[in-house]
Amino acid sequence: MKLAKIPTGYLFLTPFIIGFLFFGLYPVLNTIGLSFTDTTLMSKSSHFIGLDNFKRLFADDVFLKAVGNTWLIWILNFIPQIGFALLLSVIFTNARLNIKAQGVWRAVFYLPNLMMPAAVTALFAAIFNYYGPANQILVRSGFLSEAMRFFDSVWIARGMVVFINWWTWFGQTMIIVMAGMTSIPLPLYEAAMVDGASAWQMFTRITLPLLKPILVFIFVTALTGGMQMFDIPYLLTDGRGAPQSSIQTSNILMFLKFNSSKGHIGAASSVGVLVFITTTVCALGIFYILRDKDMDAAKPTKKSLFKKTAARAQS
Amino acid sequence: MINNYKSGTYVLRFFTYILLFVLLLIVIVPIWLLIVNATRSTTEIQQGISLFPSTHMLENYSFLGGRGLNLGQGFMNSLFLAVSSTLVSVYFALLTAYGVVVYNFPGKKLFSNFIVVLVMIPMQLSIIGFYQYMSKLGLTDNYAALILPQIASAGAVFFAKQYLESLVIWDLIDAGRIDGASELRIFHTIMLPIAVPGAATMGIFAFVGSWNNFFGPFIMISSIEKYTLPMLIQTLRGDVYRTEYGAIYLGLAITVVPIIILYTIFSRFIVSGIAMGAVKE
Repeated sequence: MKLAKIPTGYLFLTPFIIGFLFFGLYPVLNTIGLSFTDTTLMSKSSHFIGLDNFKRLFADDVFLKAVGNTWLIWILNFIPQIGFALLLSVIFTNARLNIKAQGVWRAVFYLPNLMMPAAVTALFAAIFNYYGPANQILVRSGFLSEAMRFFDSVWIARGMVVFINWWTWFGQTMIIVMAGMTSIPLPLYEAAMVDGASAWQMFTRITLPLLKPILVFIFVTALTGGMQMFDIPYLLTDGRGAPQSSIQTSNILMFLKFNSSKGHIGAASSVGVLVFITTTVCALGIFYILRDKDMDAAKPTKKSLFKKTAARAQS
Repeated sequence: MINNYKSGTYVLRFFTYILLFVLLLIVIVPIWLLIVNATRSTTEIQQGISLFPSTHMLENYSFLGGRGLNLGQGFMNSLFLAVSSTLVSVYFALLTAYGVVVYNFPGKKLFSNFIVVLVMIPMQLSIIGFYQYMSKLGLTDNYAALILPQIASAGAVFFAKQYLESLVIWDLIDAGRIDGASELRIFHTIMLPIAVPGAATMGIFAFVGSWNNFFGPFIMISSIEKYTLPMLIQTLRGDVYRTEYGAIYLGLAITVVPIIILYTIFSRFIVSGIAMGAVKE
């Protein structure tokens, strides 16, 4: 009976595993393989050139600048993203505030996450176009003496990429954080209140520690997504990261090499490989370090907190 | 003391509602502008921002058509791609998750951890190797290259596993076995019908993900009659349309409105479903 069950489980997993081998693993290995060659889309011949592609990436600062841009834009977007998510979650779960129509607020704040990033970016590009409505309003109302070329400014362009990313993700993050918050047992807060803890103390001593697994999950998935950023910076300006390559992310750089007149897919692969490795190491490393501690520490804490609560409630 | 607390609450509540309202505007205004401007003529748009719709939608549409840009075709392409990706991803995710949840086998724990790891890996960065591989197989400029990888969608399996763990009814499976149904048949005839609500939630996310996906089709698809909507948006930004704002906005609105309609119908499903993948308790 047991023996008969063993292959069945594998049977159900087979399509996934085959799909993964063909469409997940092999492309990764192929990309790594290509990164050691001078393969182009135009010529049939390709040679093994060792680490030359990688050396070339570090020979000028284009690659490092693209990586720097990606991290900068991601960090600037992630801090307000998680900040607003926490703030809104506290607001919605706070009994004293007792916010009405929660479902509606939450549904609306989540909506941007479903909007096509390409469309939203094109919208912002149109609004802040030289001849666009933003300039008209600012000039007519006297804020600007003459129309401004917004996308000539490094920080306005970056700020806009950051804003669109934030706009897209804060609601989604809020809903995940909130689900985590509502799963924290209420007696913990009641006990803290009896002890005279302030709202801030309750937030930092109860909410945040118990929320840690979810925050780690959000952080890691957001990091992985952020390192692959493409649509928004690509569509906002000229597709090359203008002004002054300030919003050229590593993914855009990879695409530019791929899309160059000869189609240097060897060189493009080397960009993909480096970003793939650094992102994977960061994401899995952070996940592993923070998660393991959690497994050991968080659960007992929760229990001991509970015991303390119960003890205090009785005394 | 009590009065102080009460009035403090009112003040706090007042400022909180202001904050929420400001955020509401930040979310709604861009979307609303996009839809409204789709109905306004280019001259009207250039005269300034308005929050009220106008009457020039058909003109804008005919302008787009006149320039050989087929939004209808793009819409159908996006729809076809999204529907087939969704079906493939949801079916195989449930199949895989069912295998993990219901059966015991060596490596089960390893496989579950592997799925979690896959969710956190930036697979998109292997697109170059994927492209070259697909071109060898003759699958570039073919939707199959975008649909088939959905068989192994780690995110969907992760979600499906979380969902099935709370859903599997052993009695029903046993009953099926006693009736002599094969394991696969039990999955198809007993499990799938029960899993419809979760499948719908997963399906909505898969659909939206595919609908909004720009990078994948942008790399893989080259002939213009196969362009999806986000790719047409990129074309819209090209020189021909640079001055035709009404047409640009209409193009954008066509990509966004179906999703908004879908959302107003299913928002309950969607909002409660988001956290399911992330929160275990």
